Amino acid sequence: MNRTFLIQAMLCLSFTFGMVVPGFAGEPQDQLRETTDKVLSVLTDPDLKSPSKAKERRERIQKILDERFDWEEMARRSLARHWTQRTPEEIREFVPLFKVLLERVYADKVEGYSWNKISYEGETIDRDYAAIKVKIFTAKDQAIRVEYRTLKKGNHWLVYDFSVEGVGLVNNYRTQFNEIIVKSSFQELIKRLKTKSPQN
Amino acid sequence: MRLIFGLLFLSMLWLIAFPSFAPAEPEILIQFPFTSNLMAQASGFSREPVERNPIQTSGTDLNSLESSASYAVSDLPVLMAQLNDPVREETELEEQPDTIADPLQPVNRIFFHVNDKLYFWALKPLASGYRAVVPEDFRLGVKNFFSNLTTPVRLVNCLLQANFKGAGNETIRFLLNSTLGLAGFLDPAKTELRIEKRDEDFGQTLGFWGIGPAFYIEWPILGASSLRDTFGYAGDLLLDPKTYLIQSVPVGLAIRTYDQVNETSLRIGEYEDFKRNTLDPYIAKREAYHQNRKHKIKNR
Repeated sequence: MNRTFLIQAMLCLSFTFGMVVPGFAGEPQDQLRETTDKVLSVLTDPDLKSPSKAKERRERIQKILDERFDWEEMARRSLARHWTQRTPEEIREFVPLFKVLLERVYADKVEGYSWNKISYEGETIDRDYAAIKVKIFTAKDQAIRVEYRTLKKGNHWLVYDFSVEGVGLVNNYRTQFNEIIVKSSFQELIKRLKTKSPQN
Repeated sequence: MRLIFGLLFLSMLWLIAFPSFAPAEPEILIQFPFTSNLMAQASGFSREPVERNPIQTSGTDLNSLESSASYAVSDLPVLMAQLNDPVREETELEEQPDTIADPLQPVNRIFFHVNDKLYFWALKPLASGYRAVVPEDFRLGVKNFFSNLTTPVRLVNCLLQANFKGAGNETIRFLLNSTLGLAGFLDPAKTELRIEKRDEDFGQTLGFWGIGPAFYIEWPILGASSLRDTFGYAGDLLLDPKTYLIQSVPVGLAIRTYDQVNETSLRIGEYEDFKRNTLDPYIAKREAYHQNRKHKIKNR
């Protein structure tokens, strides 16, 4: 009787810790933090502060983001049901255009806020998926809530979506894309994406 | 009116009688079992664990481009469910892709255009000029002042959502910021005690009790709203001291305009970025509004 109780208790304990440990290990969060720190170091680099270096600075940030952001997954999720109806050529045209737009969204966001402090508010891991909650404090101490969604590919946790104050990036583009494709066509979507690219 | 002050007074008494309710750690909410159930209902998902979709977790092959083209599910709800990963399953597994109904779209688009022009032709020039003259700290002070003035709105709506901790926070903030914070210009409650503002309004209260947004409305001047939040806005006006303190309509409008210009002066550039990064700004604004409101209702 006593022994079974002991075994049960031990089992319970091991389950509890088994549940808790991944929450503390924080591989997705560590990887995200590494990327964010790199971006921050570029943003605060005095050599890159001058306006003439703005282009170089953006390029550096883009390179850092390429390692952590899964642009194709973002594109797939944003097109949702329309993705399956596209030819490989259409997809090869679409993904880089969308990537340019997304990079600018991110860069606008990080350059716009004068970041003061970033606090990591915890992560949820479910097999290959993880959500990481982040609070960004601006110089004037206003908090902005950001949540990253990551997906494990190999050893890397890659970002496939992020939301600012509950407004999800993928979800928002999905609705816009759907509206444009349903009302006109995929070609119209490509055309509009091209007008948004930085050359214009 | 009397009722509002009655409630204010009562919640103050409450805090004096039960100091343990004073927010030492503002982040922790008191959650009664029944409120968390209501929360679950209000946000549209059941509390029972949802069974995972076998297709989406069957392996990593789904992630590569080649194989993802091979599953040809054209049924939208099915595909949406597949795209929703387990992490967001609990919040976003819905029958339909989550957007807000928009039967008034033609009219809304006209007003979106009007508001857009209003921003670029009137609000932005005004706010830019104002920003050039007035230092940022002062403008933040003005923002705090107006925010402090609308404490009754947040306090009453916290109470209406059975969020007593939030109500306590708002009461303490009001008392502290109105006195030590020089009539609300400063925010010592936040800077010294880390008591954050609870951004609650009547639209969120209605949402909390299970009322959906119904459909999207773009109001001229006021901007993005929904049928529910329009009623909410009317309710908030009734709780706003400015409605009672200022008898003259033109003065009231002037003060509200000033509040708006001041607020805009602190965020010039955001709307421009937003427009630059969207393909259909109207749709993007509508969905962002909807998602943000849902987020606020859930995180009370």
